[in-house]
Amino acid sequence: MTVVRFAPSTSTALAELLLSMADDEFVIGFSDSEWTGIAPILEEDVAMSSIAQDELGHAKALYELLASVHNDGRDADALAYDREPEAYRHARLLDHRRGDWALAIARRFLYDTADAARLASIGDGWPPLGELIAKIRREERYHVMHALAWADRLARAGGEARERFVAALEALAPDAPTVLATPEGEAALLEAGILTRPMSAAFEGWRTEVAGILVPLGITLRLEAPADAAAARTGHSDDFRWLWGEFTSVRRSDPGATW
Amino acid sequence: MTDPLALDPVLPPRERSELRARAWNEDLPHDERYEHFEAHVRGGGKIEPHDWMPDEYRTAVLRFVEMHANSELMGVLPEREWIMRAPTLRRKLALTSKVQDEVGHAQLLYRVAEDLGKPREAMFDDLLAGKTKFHNVFHYPTRTWADIGVIAWLVDAAAIVAQQALRDSSYGPYARTMQKICWEESVHIMHGRDVVVTLANGTTTQREMLQEALDRWWGPLMQMHGPRSDRSKDRDLHWRIKAKTSEELRQEFLTIYVPRILELGLTLPDPELAFDKEAGEWRYADPDWNELRTVVTNHGPKSHERLEFRRLNREATAWVRAAILAEPRAAA
Repeated sequence: MTVVRFAPSTSTALAELLLSMADDEFVIGFSDSEWTGIAPILEEDVAMSSIAQDELGHAKALYELLASVHNDGRDADALAYDREPEAYRHARLLDHRRGDWALAIARRFLYDTADAARLASIGDGWPPLGELIAKIRREERYHVMHALAWADRLARAGGEARERFVAALEALAPDAPTVLATPEGEAALLEAGILTRPMSAAFEGWRTEVAGILVPLGITLRLEAPADAAAARTGHSDDFRWLWGEFTSVRRSDPGATW
Repeated sequence: MTDPLALDPVLPPRERSELRARAWNEDLPHDERYEHFEAHVRGGGKIEPHDWMPDEYRTAVLRFVEMHANSELMGVLPEREWIMRAPTLRRKLALTSKVQDEVGHAQLLYRVAEDLGKPREAMFDDLLAGKTKFHNVFHYPTRTWADIGVIAWLVDAAAIVAQQALRDSSYGPYARTMQKICWEESVHIMHGRDVVVTLANGTTTQREMLQEALDRWWGPLMQMHGPRSDRSKDRDLHWRIKAKTSEELRQEFLTIYVPRILELGLTLPDPELAFDKEAGEWRYADPDWNELRTVVTNHGPKSHERLEFRRLNREATAWVRAAILAEPRAAA
């Protein structure tokens, strides 16, 4: 059991940060795993499925850390599954349904680059998190490479592929910055060294990076700083409610059972 | 021209010298070459893609491997539906990984088949047009989470009994591919057994769910290896493309798995099922071979829906394949 010795306000902010990161990885892991078995080519099917498993593995590790912060007997599964849809704190970017391959790649591209900026903002203020993030960053590096390769390929393919990809980016652009919305209690997290820079700085860096990738491909995307940090991770869509209904269905069929 | 296989450092020297003997028979008359081929294959030798082989052999291997590949690909669908519903993080990870393995097996097997001369897209065309088949068990619905346990444990177990025997197939690339596939399938069986044991030790609802799934899957499982056949008339056996008859495989499956199923306090829906000590084999009610014929000709409960799902999905992703096969253009 990891012992947490922070002021209550810092612990609360840490728990919120862990929950938002875990929920992000959990939900995108679900969207990506929907491609298992039906991706455009078999080779890509295997790749996307590996990415989905990485994300779920990260979610599991983050929920386990969160369980140690709460220390109230709930395990990673209880934290991941046993909540009402409103209690999930994933970013709005991940609230969209699976969509077509262009949307899947656009989402991965925007999420992977934004997530990398977030991961780069986390320090060693709480060593268990710092150590986990170092491991996660090693894997996420490959996700970014995968997303970039596809983004480049679709954008340069011209025709239908480019049109679909650009349309998907534009559809997701209003929600993409939500990944880097300022977390609650950010000042306490910065003070404790859990964060090394404000999320607004991560957002600016990410926006510049995305432009550096897309502009040479002839794509300009409006990415605006998320105005309301609280709204970035609440008020989920019907698509997410549907997803929640699916992923909790077996578990709810016999509450309290061991699976 | 030097056959690249003769230089292959991976093959042991003895096998390399055998390759030389059979690949270099190009100036012999057909019948004599055929005899060399027969002797080689019957004597336990391996055939490699660049070796000379009779068209009948090539066609037989292609048919066999293609159906196996189709089965892996279609076998993804019944389980895939439950990835989303997996009730814990660990189960979801395991199931995603398992289904990913099946996709990977399809990819490996389609590559083996492609090297025999049939393009992958042509194999997808034929599968969707109903010209080629896939295994009976993948034509059925998955109704509950218990199906996921029963499929991964028993369907995969019945498959592995057959697949283990294929590791010694006379067609070298297939035999080698089966080494990897068998290893992964054995992990699936452990995953499936774990799901089943958890349900068996669970609540009354879970136990009932498990028994109901087993009752439903038993018929298809007994049909899976096919009706008894005459060993002497089976050309796939003659050429050692496969090693065992349907009945040998079924008996092997029953011997290993019936005790394990009963040990969990489950029952099997066949009152005639018993081991005949004198005959040294299992007795069972004759499986419904009409059902098998109906199902594998794509008239099973889910045949149409699953093929249609694959067809629609292939259509919906056609633009992606077109894009990645096209020459990249400069940025606009």
